[in-house]
This record gives sequence, structure tokens and C-alpha cells, in this order.
Amino acid sequence: MTALKVIPQLLCWAVLVPVMSRSLTGMATAVTAAAGFVVGVAGENLLLAYVGGELPFRPLRGVCGVIFLLLWGASVWALYRRGSKGSDAEAVSSPGPLAAGLAASATGVLAGALTLCRLAPLDGGAVRLVPYLSLACAGAVLALAATFPARYLPERLAPRGIPLLALVVSALMVMACSVQRLDIFSPLSMEVMKFIHDFVHQFFESMLIPDHPFFRSDVWGYIGLLFSDKVGLWGGLALWYLPVLFIALALRLERLPSVAHIRQGAARRKLLASFIHERRLRLVAPLFALVLLTGAAYQSRFPATEYWDPKPVEVTATPAGQIVIPKKGEMDLEDGKLHKFSYSQGGRQARFFVMLTPAGQLVTTLDACAICQPEGYGQAGNAVICYYCKTLIPLETVGKPGGCNPVPVPCSVKGDAVVIDAMTLLNTWESTVQVTAHGKGMGK
Amino acid sequence: MAAIIETSGLTRSYGDICALKPLDLCVPEGEWLTVMGHSGSGKSTLLNLLGGLDRPTGGSIQVRGTDLASLSEDGLARFRRDCVGIIFQQHHLIPYLTALENVMMSQYFHSVPDEAEARHALERVGLGHRLKNRPGELSGGEQQRVCIARAIINSPRLLLGDEPTGNLDHKSTTMVMELLRELRDEDRFSIVMVTHNQEVAAWGDRTIHMDDGCLVREERIKAC
Repeated sequence: MTALKVIPQLLCWAVLVPVMSRSLTGMATAVTAAAGFVVGVAGENLLLAYVGGELPFRPLRGVCGVIFLLLWGASVWALYRRGSKGSDAEAVSSPGPLAAGLAASATGVLAGALTLCRLAPLDGGAVRLVPYLSLACAGAVLALAATFPARYLPERLAPRGIPLLALVVSALMVMACSVQRLDIFSPLSMEVMKFIHDFVHQFFESMLIPDHPFFRSDVWGYIGLLFSDKVGLWGGLALWYLPVLFIALALRLERLPSVAHIRQGAARRKLLASFIHERRLRLVAPLFALVLLTGAAYQSRFPATEYWDPKPVEVTATPAGQIVIPKKGEMDLEDGKLHKFSYSQGGRQARFFVMLTPAGQLVTTLDACAICQPEGYGQAGNAVICYYCKTLIPLETVGKPGGCNPVPVPCSVKGDAVVIDAMTLLNTWESTVQVTAHGKGMGK
Repeated sequence: MAAIIETSGLTRSYGDICALKPLDLCVPEGEWLTVMGHSGSGKSTLLNLLGGLDRPTGGSIQVRGTDLASLSEDGLARFRRDCVGIIFQQHHLIPYLTALENVMMSQYFHSVPDEAEARHALERVGLGHRLKNRPGELSGGEQQRVCIARAIINSPRLLLGDEPTGNLDHKSTTMVMELLRELRDEDRFSIVMVTHNQEVAAWGDRTIHMDDGCLVREERIKAC
């Protein structure tokens, strides 16, 4: 099962190395990439073993964000330079052995670290010795074996310059997005949604659009589309795909070499046709990168990780309006797991969970945050995850307000039971949770 | 002068029927060769073999140094695209395309279409005023001239004609032959043309007579 988890990453690696070694400097590239992979695996495992917590993931996530931004910059540059003679693609096409080696080893280090994170235990700590060594060996062997298929890769299909960068970054994105803590697509979508929400809100606030009485309800329906949950997804997908589409467009619009010096019409057309054919072949790399990015987005939207997500247990209140949940009843509230409950009264409903934090405190929070739609939380090791925005909340901060944290509900521990005021619970739910046409407040 | 076509023991059989018996033939660059003979004498079989439309069952056939028998299907297609232009008796123009588009279609299959060049080719054959007409709106002679423009547009070194004047009247025949000679003199390509007509054969440099798949007689009309 452990080996199956890293198959997508190793497949990406197996595709990446032959392309890199064909496009850069052959065998030397494969060797440096293999060494880089082993270093990446070892380095990340050391971080997991000796630093622990969220820290080993943060620099990796940062690097993923930076290389995605780099791809954005390169794509805009490629589009800007598309028509000029001796354009960027040519300039970057033949890096020296040192640059090629650096690029291959950096890619290897990153790929190794990202792949190891897929095996990292959810509750922290290093990857066990056997999977760790197996992964390092598999990555190195795949990289070295890649020199064989690389020989059969047609020269004209080997991408160079910015298209190669697009392919490398897309493959690394696939590796990153399959690990919840390294995923950058979900945060990107969330940021887009927040930006659009804030923009529309500020637009209204600044009185540029008159308020409700001047609008018919169907007009508001259209404006409401900007607040739907799909806005973030589509906006995120646009930002996700645009750099590669820009690169494809730049290649498509690239000026063909002049053939005016050839007098014979047929020979001139034939040379022109060969240039067009070559330009068309160079589109293969960006198109393949699009496929990889789609895979990355899919992994981000539908992660393979299984979360602890119990069905909410219906609770009732005492005549005094108190919800009393015994600490050791049908379930053990102090087992460190998330326990979900739902309460309804007179058509009003609320969903909440109780859990013991690592600090040893029993906390009660809504099964929703104040920002997202109330799709609830699941537990993954030492964090809970918001199903809507895929944000991981460390258990240490559960019970504290703010951001995408579950909204805290005041509770008290009396003897062997947790006591919550039912009215406070319902009021907190109704005043803080985003009620939408779809969710109607209860999400699930 | 270097040979554009060299065959040695070239044969083509269809089952038990031997359409072409061992044939040795040499055509120098720039020569206009006419092939005469009765129906079933193997003229069209020879033309199909020279044009890469058919494969020999024996012997060798070299066109511009390329052994056609050794080429793959793709190689033969490339050979036809790059080296040969063919004019048919029935024209085989695409009826729903204009004269200009018919010529550009040939460019498309060769490399990329170029309207200005196609227009120039039609002007060369005297059809500058018929660019936008469809084949149905052209006379037989005009259609054959479109075929010639289509055949020469990709600058072939070998032009093959399978009775190109077979269904033309005397005036149109003369016009087409004059045009072919003029183009041949300008572009220096070789022509191999099958015909039944003695008068048409007289336009060539050399005539070979075929009977029952064999070359029976050869006559030189003028020095190449």
C-alpha cells in the first residue's frame, strides 16, 4: 500500500528525467538528477525526523509557490518576446554543462523531497527505514534507467528553454498537489475566491453600485454568481493553466524564419512547411504540461487521503437548555479524536465537534468556520482539515478563533461531562456561519 | 547527360498475366519520351511504375538515383509528392473546387498552399482569367491546362502524361502540346507521355513502341 501511494510521483519522475536528459546534456543529467533525488529524499526525512511538525513542509511549499511564479514570469516573457528574432527559446536552448547539472540536481532534490512527503506519517515523524531506502533507490534507478528511453525520444520532440521549464514545473506540481500540506492549488483557488468576494464587496461599499431597491432580484441573482463557490475553482484553474497556455500561444505565434531567399516556389514552400511542422511539434511539451497540471488540480480537489470523519451524533438539551455530553460514554471524548454532534430545536440546527487538544484541554467548536461554506472538518493526524478550502488547522490552534479555524463555542467541564448552552450554540451557528442557498446553514 | 530514369529487367505481373516483360530503359534528364502501343500493350503499367503508383514484381527501377522498389509506402508517397507531376486523360479535377483551389490543393499535399504562386502557375498556362471557375465551367482544353498547372506547381523533375490529349480536339491538342513544350524548355523537366496519336508523339524527342508488354521499336525524332 505504501508503494502505491508514490506511484504518481514516480511516474512523473520517470517521464521527467528522460525528457531532461534528452534536452540537456544526456547521461550526466540523469546522474545528477538521480543524485539530487537521493539527497532530496534523505534531506527531507532528516527534517521530518529532527524538526517535526509543520516546519519541514513549509519551505517545500514555498519553493513550489516560487517555481510556479517563475513559470508565470517565464510565460509572460515568452509571450512578450514571441515575435522577436532569436527569441528567448533560442537563448535558453543550450545551457552549459554546469547550468544543466544545477537544473537537473535542483529538480532531483525537489522531486525527491516532494515524493518523500507523500510517505510522511500524518501524525508527524520520519518515514520508516525500509520505505525511505526503497524510495531513494527507486528514484535513483528510474533516473539512471531513463537514459535508455531518452535515446529513443525524437530530437524534435525534446523541449528546450521555457517549454522544458513548463514541463518540469507541471510534473513537480503533480508531485506536490498529492500531498495535502504541499498542495498549492487549493490555496490558490481560495485566494481567488477571497479576492473576488472582497472586490465585489468593496465595490458595493464604495457606493459605486446602488443598493438593493434599485435592482430587480434577477440582477442580484447574476451578481450572486460572483459569490458562488465555483468562482474560486474556475478562477484558480484559470491562474493554474494560463502560464502554460501563454507558452503554447507564444510558440504558436513565433515568427518563422525567412524563406524569401529561395527562388523556387516548391522548395520555398517545403522549407516553410518544415518550419511550421517543427513549431507544431514544439507544442507537444506545453500540451503535455497541461495534462500534468490537470492531474495536479484533480489530486488537489479529490485528495486520496482518508480523514477521520465520524457521523454527527444527535444530541438533545436538558429542560434548562443545556447540552450535556459525558466524557466517557458511548465514546471517549478524550481520545484525541474529533467527535461530531448535531443539535436541532424548532427548525434551528447546528453542528459541532468536541475534541481534546494536545494541550490537554477539551474544546467545543462549530463544525464550520466563519469564512467558508459549512462543509465541515475531518481529522488527519495532528491537524483538522476544512473540507471546503482544504486548509489544514493544527490541533494546537483548534478552539482559537480566526481565519479558517472552526468557530469556538463556550463550554464547561462539569464532573465527567462537557456542558454547552444550547441557545448559545444555535446563536453562534446562525451569526457566524456562511448561510448559502445550497448549504442552508447545515452544509452536509 | 545524366539519366533521370533507368530500368533494368523491369517486370510487372498480375497473377499469371505478365503486363510488362523485362524492360531496360534509360531516359536522360530533360528528354521528352512518348510511349506508343495498342491497348493492353503495357504503356499505362509502365507509367504507373515510373510514377510510383505501382510496384514492380521484378527488376529495378531508378528515378533520379532512387530505387523505387526499395521505398516504403511513405517513401513512395514522398517520391510522388516531390519528384513527379501527373496529367491524366480524364483530368481528375475536384469538381467543387475552383481552378485556383485545385492547384492549391496540390500545394497543400506537397507542403503549404501559396495562392500567389498558384495564381502565377495558372497565368503561365493562360488561365489567368479563369481562376475562380469550377471545372464544370471550363472547356476540355482549359481543364487539361489546369491539370498541367497542378502537375507543375511543385516543380517536379519528371512529368508523366497518360494520354493527356486523348479527349481533346485538334486545336486544343496543339495548344496543350505547345504549352508543354514551352514549360519543358523553361523548367527543364523530363516528360514521359503515353499516347495513341502519331501526331502527338511527334512533339517528343524519342518514341518507344510497345506490344504485349515488350519494347518492340524505338525511334528518335529529334536530338535531345
